[in-house]
Amino acid sequence: MEFVVFAVFAAISVTAALFMVLQRNAMYSALFLVLNFFCFAVFFILLGAYFLAVVQVAVYAGAIMVLMLFVIMLLNVAYPEPLDKVLGFLRPFGVVTAVMFAAVLAGVGFGSKMGENASIPPRIADPTSGAGIMLKGVGAAEAGHVQEVAATLFSRYLFPFEVTSVLLLVAILGASVLVRKRTEHA
Amino acid sequence: MNFPTTVPTEAYLILSAVLFGIGAMGVMLRKSALTMFMSVELMLNAVNLSFVAFARHFGRLDGQIIVFFVMAVAAAEVAVGLAIIVDIFRSRRSVDIDDVNWLRG
Repeated sequence: MEFVVFAVFAAISVTAALFMVLQRNAMYSALFLVLNFFCFAVFFILLGAYFLAVVQVAVYAGAIMVLMLFVIMLLNVAYPEPLDKVLGFLRPFGVVTAVMFAAVLAGVGFGSKMGENASIPPRIADPTSGAGIMLKGVGAAEAGHVQEVAATLFSRYLFPFEVTSVLLLVAILGASVLVRKRTEHA
Repeated sequence: MNFPTTVPTEAYLILSAVLFGIGAMGVMLRKSALTMFMSVELMLNAVNLSFVAFARHFGRLDGQIIVFFVMAVAAAEVAVGLAIIVDIFRSRRSVDIDDVNWLRG
């Protein structure tokens, strides 16, 4: 059952990604990207990362894509790109590079099967040790429960978490400064 | 047909690689800065998928935490990146990257 769901949504996500890249209208590209983000949320649920699935829908499919669609409509650039502006002879090279990229990465994926026992042993923690950082077992159903994610985030990763808040503040200020109206004496 | 009961980690890694490749193709082929931007988001998400797959594989939460941070950084990146695109559009009336060649030697 899980495998069937994975196969269906893998097919949908790859198709949506291809349509997004090949679509010449920026608006349709954005909508296919939203479909793709929902597929990622399904994969996160299959992998037991429930918190991330919710964040994926709220942040990516919600906030980020609304921002993108807003800019597309604001700039009114949702017209098809004229083909004569495209460097035609470079296109095959782009496809070849992308295929090689994917092949190398997939090769790493296959290779991990062989080194499974050799390199890093899967950590199966005993429940007495660790502050909720290790799980009760590989593929445990409670893997992504908000409680455990929060316990890890606010203990071991507290400093990166605080740094992230500063980063978001800098991003807000940077975006505001970049798009503000230029005045002559400023 | 007998399907495996759980999806193996390798399947997720291959899917992640394929999606990353499609995203890379988008960055290289497209001329619109906005579509290139969306392709970068797709690549980020593909990497997130392999992080979560590895988190399940090794039974640790660290991978999921890193995905959380990647999402935060991606949100910041989108805000600043779109601001830059809007700024370029104001001065050039275009988001075509061929029109943005001030730094060309």
